[in-house]
Amino acid sequence: MSTLKPVLSRTFQLILVLWAVVTILFLMFRLMPGNPLAAYIDPTFTLEQQEALIRQFGLDESLLRQYFTYLGNLLQGELGYSFRYRTPVAERIWLLLPNTLILTFSSLIVAYIFGILAGAWLAWRRASRAEAFALPIVLATRAMPEFWLGMVLLAIFSFSLGIFPAGGTRSAGTEYESLWSLYTSADFLSHLALPMLTLAIYSQGLPLLLMRSNMLDVMKEDFVTMAKVKGLSPYTIVIKHGARNALLPVMTSFAISVGYQLQGNVVVESVFSWPGLGRELVSAVSASDYPLAQGAFLMIAVVVILMNLIADLLYTFLDPRISHA
Amino acid sequence: MSQPLLSVKNLSIVYEVPNLDVVAVSRASFDVPRGSIVGLVGESGCGKTTMARAFTRIISDNAKITEGSMDFDGKDLAKISEREMNDLRWRDIAFVPQSAMNSLDPVYRVEYQMHEVLRGRGGMSRSQAKARAAELFEMVGIEANRLRDFPHQFSGGMRQRVAIALALALNPKLIVADEPVTALDVIVQRQILDQMRALQRDLGISIIMVTHDISVVAYICDRTVVMYAGEVVEDCETATLLSKPLHPYTMGLKNAFPDIASAGTGILTPISGAPPDLARPPAGCRFAARCPFALDHCRSVSPTLMSFGDDHSVACHRAHEAEALRAQAALPETWGEIL
Repeated sequence: MSTLKPVLSRTFQLILVLWAVVTILFLMFRLMPGNPLAAYIDPTFTLEQQEALIRQFGLDESLLRQYFTYLGNLLQGELGYSFRYRTPVAERIWLLLPNTLILTFSSLIVAYIFGILAGAWLAWRRASRAEAFALPIVLATRAMPEFWLGMVLLAIFSFSLGIFPAGGTRSAGTEYESLWSLYTSADFLSHLALPMLTLAIYSQGLPLLLMRSNMLDVMKEDFVTMAKVKGLSPYTIVIKHGARNALLPVMTSFAISVGYQLQGNVVVESVFSWPGLGRELVSAVSASDYPLAQGAFLMIAVVVILMNLIADLLYTFLDPRISHA
Repeated sequence: MSQPLLSVKNLSIVYEVPNLDVVAVSRASFDVPRGSIVGLVGESGCGKTTMARAFTRIISDNAKITEGSMDFDGKDLAKISEREMNDLRWRDIAFVPQSAMNSLDPVYRVEYQMHEVLRGRGGMSRSQAKARAAELFEMVGIEANRLRDFPHQFSGGMRQRVAIALALALNPKLIVADEPVTALDVIVQRQILDQMRALQRDLGISIIMVTHDISVVAYICDRTVVMYAGEVVEDCETATLLSKPLHPYTMGLKNAFPDIASAGTGILTPISGAPPDLARPPAGCRFAARCPFALDHCRSVSPTLMSFGDDHSVACHRAHEAEALRAQAALPETWGEIL
């Protein structure tokens, strides 16, 4: 059917982009100063031992061979061994990725639901006192650095009021049978609250302002005027025609925001000691744990690229002008 | 003659801009007889669209009806409550917009937008609405299976037909059509106009046709109301308007449009100058500055719309000399010198 073709062509583009990302990542880590094994090799190793290690990791081979070995391993889901943990990188990433995704999506969903509703409401109350009051606040939250906001929330809700825990994903000493029971536990959710709130406050400005300005534009469209001339109900005019059309670009921005949010996560995960991919990335880079950093970078890139694909596909689904063109 | 369907009296509409009032429509009066097509003609900015919108009372937030009445079937559209007005909208007074592309919501199928009025305003059941929508499409000459299409899948002419079908949906008494064929090529224009004429005859509705194109007026309208700078300057049957215009502006308009029937000289004579600023209208006749026949009296005293002959109203101090003026107006040099 007509919907299959765009999906296929987008998927093909996605594979191309992934390949480019993988190649850049590969070269980037080879261009970094110093021996990649510097952190791994103990100074007490003999020269033979060091050379044996270099051979073992394939670093004595040509760059091109290394590149193809790397691609081949990636295709099998093989991301190498972490220098620091001495465990497979993939294992480590699979352990941390859910935490990052839960934090990212929960905060974005909260931010977008709030932003869309508040944005539509502000458009409705245009040039009112509420708008004069709300817009500067929204702009201020948009301008706040998220680490600062995180620390302020920590100071208030954790250190002063003691409502929410200060960091991590669970209280010390608690054990859960499965990941699912962990993620659905009240303990996990109370740990999630503050970092989620920080990111949600940080990111609600975009959907709110976008929704508001789209709504203002759409409400000036002829079809909205015609809906009034037709005598349709205010609900039909504002929600079914106004908001439905204003929502289109906001949905795209949601998918793209996931990418930005993952950057924001690096900071917020550090502030809240949230064991996610962002925090791991920071510590891997500072510990010169190149395989792990490379894997984390790759994973973040994959999520961003996937979300862009979803944004494209979502748009063809939401806007008939694109899917039927 | 029976009571007109719509009787507009002394209607004034003002746009309130900070520190400034722009009088877009100034004490306009005219009637729309039952079962007729009335053209509302004038150049851009003369207030014709503002007035057309006023009949649905969906006007800009900063526009206000400051005086006058619009007597529609015994109800004054300027006075009735918003609730009463909303009851009339689309059920009795429908609207065909200029750009049917932008007037249809791009994300919904045409069928959905048809059902919105049929079920939402007409109280029909789903199956009734379905049958009626198919019937309406047939009336405007589109296959019923196109109902499942989205607006962007129609051509410009088809979309205009869809807009007409939508306007007919609830059997209104009056359709206000705002430049319904302006964006279309002449062949499609003619098809659409023919269709509107046929539907209007079959269904006995009245149409107000807003246009700047005097050939559209000549082709389809029974009566024509000429507007200039927010005022009605002439109002009579179209045939009379074209053969014996009384107002110099109408004479000038005629000269400015190509006439295929008497394509002799091939020269079009424009009316030089521009309409006055409606925020600061001049004293006297508003057309005086561009009128080749203006006298001192015209520049100081504003003419009122007066009945002249049977069923012919005009706002001109020199209307009694119209015959002589028409002869002069036919000469291009008459219009040449004024700047």
